[in-house]
Amino acid sequence: MSETRTAPPPGAATAPAPGPGLIPVTVLTGFLGAGKTTLLNHILTAEHGRKYAVVINEFGELGVDNDLVVDADEEVFEMNNGCICCTVRGDLIRILGSLMKRRGRFDGIIVETTGLADPAPVAQTFFVDEEVKARTRLDAVVTVVDALNLPARLADSREAQNQIAFADVIVLNKTDLVDEAGLAAVEARIRGINRYARIHRAQRGNVDVAAILDQGGFDLKRALEVAPDFLESDSHSHDDEVQSLSFELEAPVDAAKFQAWIGSVLQEQGQDILRSKGILSYKGENRRFAFQAVHMMADGDFVAPWSPDETRTSRLVFIGRNLNRPRLRRGFESCVAA
Amino acid sequence: MSTTFANRSAPVPVDELLNSRGAVQQAEGFVVACAISRDSSRMAFATGDGIVHVTPRRGQAEHWRRLEVHDGGALALAQDVTPQGFLTGGDDSRLCRIDADDAVHELSRGRRWVEHVATVVDGRTALIATAVGKQVELRDADGTLARTLDHDSTVSGVVFDARGKRIATSHYGGATLRFVNTKSDAPRVLAWKGSHIGIAMHPNGDALVTAMQENELHGWRLPDGHNMRMSGYPQKTQSFAFSRSGRWLATSGADVIVLWPFFGGGPMGKPPLELAGIQGVVCTRVAFHPQHDIVAAGFVDGTVLMADVATKKVLPVCGPHGGEGHAAVTALAYSPDGGCLAFGTEGGRMAVVDLTPK
Repeated sequence: MSETRTAPPPGAATAPAPGPGLIPVTVLTGFLGAGKTTLLNHILTAEHGRKYAVVINEFGELGVDNDLVVDADEEVFEMNNGCICCTVRGDLIRILGSLMKRRGRFDGIIVETTGLADPAPVAQTFFVDEEVKARTRLDAVVTVVDALNLPARLADSREAQNQIAFADVIVLNKTDLVDEAGLAAVEARIRGINRYARIHRAQRGNVDVAAILDQGGFDLKRALEVAPDFLESDSHSHDDEVQSLSFELEAPVDAAKFQAWIGSVLQEQGQDILRSKGILSYKGENRRFAFQAVHMMADGDFVAPWSPDETRTSRLVFIGRNLNRPRLRRGFESCVAA
Repeated sequence: MSTTFANRSAPVPVDELLNSRGAVQQAEGFVVACAISRDSSRMAFATGDGIVHVTPRRGQAEHWRRLEVHDGGALALAQDVTPQGFLTGGDDSRLCRIDADDAVHELSRGRRWVEHVATVVDGRTALIATAVGKQVELRDADGTLARTLDHDSTVSGVVFDARGKRIATSHYGGATLRFVNTKSDAPRVLAWKGSHIGIAMHPNGDALVTAMQENELHGWRLPDGHNMRMSGYPQKTQSFAFSRSGRWLATSGADVIVLWPFFGGGPMGKPPLELAGIQGVVCTRVAFHPQHDIVAAGFVDGTVLMADVATKKVLPVCGPHGGEGHAAVTALAYSPDGGCLAFGTEGGRMAVVDLTPK
């Protein structure tokens, strides 16, 4: 007998419920040279009356004085839970744990990743670790892209596509180096990958800080708040492996059918589906059901009620690779309540 | 209307021990660790804002000292190799010694957080180990760096055996065991998939146990490397300790004190013993008495108690204290002579309880 699993102690206790006063964490991604550090410095020096603790990667450097700067080695750990795409940032679990022992010194935390980093492990850390979940909330993934070099990056890098796919906010930097037609083309390219991220144009990172912080990108209550292009038609070119697909249903959805279907979709294709979000109108339910997932890790809850005069449209977005539109649409349609 | 026995019985005076035998002080910050000196005469409490509060054992309020040791947060605190001193590590990348006169001396300053400090004294052996990023720095009693032990990932825990012959570390992917006094670095790597976040060694040196990210413990029987898994926790085990007898491993992470038997073939195939449960209130810290099979435990609501493993009798030290999110017991230690218990909380409560006969 090489290993023995002994009986678990019975009487599972409840984990601390996430409450108000969770410290917001903003994840800043982007390729080397896109202007991440410039944007970070801009955030830290802007007049917003808030203090931020900053976790920078080992190659990073901060151009401004900040009380709380932590150097991190990006340690991506696989969880030993049988889920192969379930990776977390082990260093971040430790660092956030230590930072939360002096909360009150800062209002938020900004985590900068290395240029080649996949945002998934950072995001998944906030789904997996109970203590991180109990004290902090992932506010948004902010991705800085270089308007001039983005097409080249997208052509040669899977990580560049992932960073755009994961973003809640995209800062399109260095817009002074590209003409308007070029910018429109780059934005269309970004939209093809990620349809619901907010895009802000910037030069030398000079974007309104309010457009970056407090985005509630992972807040169920604000899921699909931004739905700029929610037609099922897809006018964008498929230059990129990663694309976003959105679906709508007017008829009420059966809660059990939807849970079963989305569960199996994420189970089977969770490695390819980078992010997904949805707002569902369940039959016989006056409140919206909000849903979101990062790869296979899903989260869902009832949020605000529908208003009496509102059309109760269920909406779902998938961002990922190898997405089969007809199959996903048929699957979603099969969730309509009888 | 009938009256039950329970209704007629007087409420348990849960705070009596603390009120009658305790000294309580309030820190501004989160108490990250407490320690009692090797000669059992002095107590120290380190906080998340880098302050270390020090008091003599039966100190009155005016005897408590507030030392500004780390610029940033204190991350680790341990009894020193000297009889009355303490060692602290901080996120200012410094290792500091607080001497018997409360003077602070910097032993090292590097570029990484000093996250863990361990010490051992046995006969003429006196060693200090610190976990600094992916390295463990092994130092002589005076703080001189003797060896640096490299790892592939950040070291999450470090422990000596009782004699100071071997040193073990936990990290991503398992644990590593090394002999302290050897020129060649021939580590014994104990591999187990996953992220290991803390380590303890059996007092006889027969087993190593790590806590894991996945709410379970993993162990290795050292003679043959046999794997042991101890699972079923609702939360991560942040605190775990062997009894001096080596019979029991006490662990936090459930709403009872979970004790795994390390005798009669255990823990393999044996259910753990559960003591002193408070429904829905998670145990956050455990400490074993230095001689007897008596375990102290702190809970997320601020409760502290002691339990006799053999009789399962529970002696409350104090009841819930502090508001939600501030109450959790985050530090707990017995003095080496067993006559004193110290604890600290997330909300900055620091307490020393005298357990000796009056």
